[in-house]
Amino acid sequence: MTVEIDFDPSWLDGFDQRISNDGPWGNWELYKLAIEVEKHTVIEDFEGLQAPKHLPQLTPLPHQIEVAKQVVENMNGKAILADEVGLGKTIEAGLILKEYMIRGLVKKVLILVPASLVSQWANELNSKFYIPAIAQKKSYVWEQCDVVVSSIDTAKRNPHRDIIYNQDYDLIIIDEAHKLKNNKTKNYEFVQNLKKKFCLLLTATPIQNRIGEIFNLVSLLKPGHLGNESVFYENYKKDSRSLNDDEHLKELVNKVMIRNRRADTGIEWTKRKVETVPIHFSKEERDLYDSVTAMIGEGDWLSSSQFSVMTLQREACSSREAVFLTLRNMLQKQESPTEYFQDQINKLIEKVNAVQTNSKAEKALELIKKIDDKVIIFTEYRATQMYLQWYLKQNGITSVPFRGGFKRGKKDWMRELFEKHAQVLIATEAGGEGINLQFCNHIINFDLPWNPMRLEQRIGRIHRLGQEKDVMIYNFATKDTVEEHILKLLHEKISLFEKVIGDLDDILTKLDFGNFEDYLVDIFGHSASEGEMKVKLDNLTSMIQFAEEMKEDGVRAAAGNSSIS
Amino acid sequence: MQQQEIHQFLEKYFLANGCEIIENKDGYMTVQLTIELDKELMNRPFYWHYVEKIGGEPNPMKLTFITDQQSVPDDVKGEIIHFGSPRLHQIFQSTKNLAGYIRLYENHQAGGGQQVPLRPWLGLNVKISYQCDRKRDIFKSLGLQLINGQVVENFHDHLLNVNLTPKIPDYSFTLSPLIMPKSGVFRIENLLKQEIVQEDHQWADEARERWQKDLQLLEHFYEDLEEKGESYDIEKKALQEQYEPKIKISIINGGMFYLTEKAVV
Repeated sequence: MTVEIDFDPSWLDGFDQRISNDGPWGNWELYKLAIEVEKHTVIEDFEGLQAPKHLPQLTPLPHQIEVAKQVVENMNGKAILADEVGLGKTIEAGLILKEYMIRGLVKKVLILVPASLVSQWANELNSKFYIPAIAQKKSYVWEQCDVVVSSIDTAKRNPHRDIIYNQDYDLIIIDEAHKLKNNKTKNYEFVQNLKKKFCLLLTATPIQNRIGEIFNLVSLLKPGHLGNESVFYENYKKDSRSLNDDEHLKELVNKVMIRNRRADTGIEWTKRKVETVPIHFSKEERDLYDSVTAMIGEGDWLSSSQFSVMTLQREACSSREAVFLTLRNMLQKQESPTEYFQDQINKLIEKVNAVQTNSKAEKALELIKKIDDKVIIFTEYRATQMYLQWYLKQNGITSVPFRGGFKRGKKDWMRELFEKHAQVLIATEAGGEGINLQFCNHIINFDLPWNPMRLEQRIGRIHRLGQEKDVMIYNFATKDTVEEHILKLLHEKISLFEKVIGDLDDILTKLDFGNFEDYLVDIFGHSASEGEMKVKLDNLTSMIQFAEEMKEDGVRAAAGNSSIS
Repeated sequence: MQQQEIHQFLEKYFLANGCEIIENKDGYMTVQLTIELDKELMNRPFYWHYVEKIGGEPNPMKLTFITDQQSVPDDVKGEIIHFGSPRLHQIFQSTKNLAGYIRLYENHQAGGGQQVPLRPWLGLNVKISYQCDRKRDIFKSLGLQLINGQVVENFHDHLLNVNLTPKIPDYSFTLSPLIMPKSGVFRIENLLKQEIVQEDHQWADEARERWQKDLQLLEHFYEDLEEKGESYDIEKKALQEQYEPKIKISIINGGMFYLTEKAVV
């Protein structure tokens, strides 16, 4: 069969003009250079990856290169990238995108990611891959920019939707694609109607539940690959739980999906070592904590929710500064506080004033001196953060603050200061996305967040690809306080700290029981007795353990097989 | 392209564009841009518009490029240039834009009052891209003598051995072409197409097979539906764009060369 041959006539017009106008003609040196350039940029093979040559600062891992190669050479540029969390799916997607751009196969690109990740994606593509990706903010961006990052929720709404449907995209990338498992949703429909010449779906948990979900995901990518809906459900029971039951189906899915497991990558993950550091309150600190706790029983002078009391309790475990700030806010928020209210708050403030030392800070100082290396301290409270910075300075230890609210540039600057000049980084938020702190391997959890995912993120800042040493985690827990209970739950019951990145993510999604934090507030806030609290905690623990067992079963079943779990 | 080659390339580019290279050391160089090159590379039309409107003193930028970070002293700040850096590709593009068309004469050393005839050649450098869901390119350089129709392969390499000049040298005259330059281009176009047709196009057959397979899947997916709907059409069109094999020929640069009889043998 013959192939259509297209001769680009645009050069001829300019040539004609110059012949009739007798110039202007180019410079021979530049002319020769242009040929040199062309010889260097021409790609003579269909096969092989060009992208790594263009990215000297990036060192992709072997499995990431392999994925990129597979997708381009064997999967025709349509694939579900389903590596386990932490193996660098973004890098893989970036490599594939870069490869297509270098080869001139892709120009116009749409990248749909969760809203919270939009700027991170744009930043990474720019800084790591030199791809001029723009985070969509104004509506003209759709038309005028070639590589646009947006959230699906923005994109699917008009006026954006209509403009997007008018664009001719060469490549579409969708992060967290497992959210598209239901084909009855608006999001699904939106993506289904996008023109997908090349398409990458990224997800760490491709097949959590029903087999129908994988059908929907694959049908988005390659309609018909798993048959049509009626045939598919005839062959495979709709509520079938596992893909492993059917070899044929698994093989089909593997044609469009790549999943690397941590264990297969040959990357050595360093260990996590956890140490609980018990803290004993001073007399004044104990007095403050007890007075706050006493408020729970005291009835309704405190009109705000149980939550404030719990907050105060937790703050009392952190620093008197944190307690003071909250008390002052409570007072200011009341428009016309009753005398009794003012009285009570003032009494508490007196207790705050009575506290002269911070037992945790003293312990932290001792520990930092002993470690004699870089340390990250995490605290939940800005006030504690500021106090700690002052306190460490008093004792001759350099530190830098870090907050989620910092602008990108400031985050990078603080990271740099920490790496080169300071011993301690004091952070209030782990969500410093994409910031690498692998050069440090000591974390002090000055106080604990109640959301285990946040804890996981904290640890994930340093326990990630590139960490060469074992990671030391020090958890501060004040004796006979709510903190001790929390730590027991997280540490001893669900051994959170020893888990590898991502495990918890899997478990919590599987449980699907909503907000973990709400559970804790309920347990600690509404339990009438110590006994009730214990029962509720045990309950929660066994739920989590159950989910874990489910997960392990899944792993065992898949162990002998290929890449799907 | 090695870092060393990139360094040499930048050097040649800026010199060819009349820029002064203020400092040129191992691993880095500092260049004073000319006004033209500032406009070409720095993307600041408002500044230039403003300067020209108020008749201000133009102040083109100075740029420092680092081609090897290891050998650069710490106090030198500049753009790090490597094969993938956007700046290098901008300069690549600029090189091609600035040198799309050329006319040169052979600077022969014939003396003694004898007039030397120079024969007209059309030289074209082209890129041929074979594209389906994958892509490869090849580079070709062809010369066509515009009097007798002789065609020479690797024409550019021949030219590199000839001393060329933009002004017609003394004691020379050019012969008028019998083939008009424009028809010359068409001749080369046809020649290339004939050659390409003769090639083995297994890659295209394979691409069509992949296309057919995906198309069958698509049909199967929608076969139960009476109204196939928009997504079917979109998907079908996307498959065509993804797989349909195409060959594109584009001209990188080219022009007229007036050469002595012996120049190209």
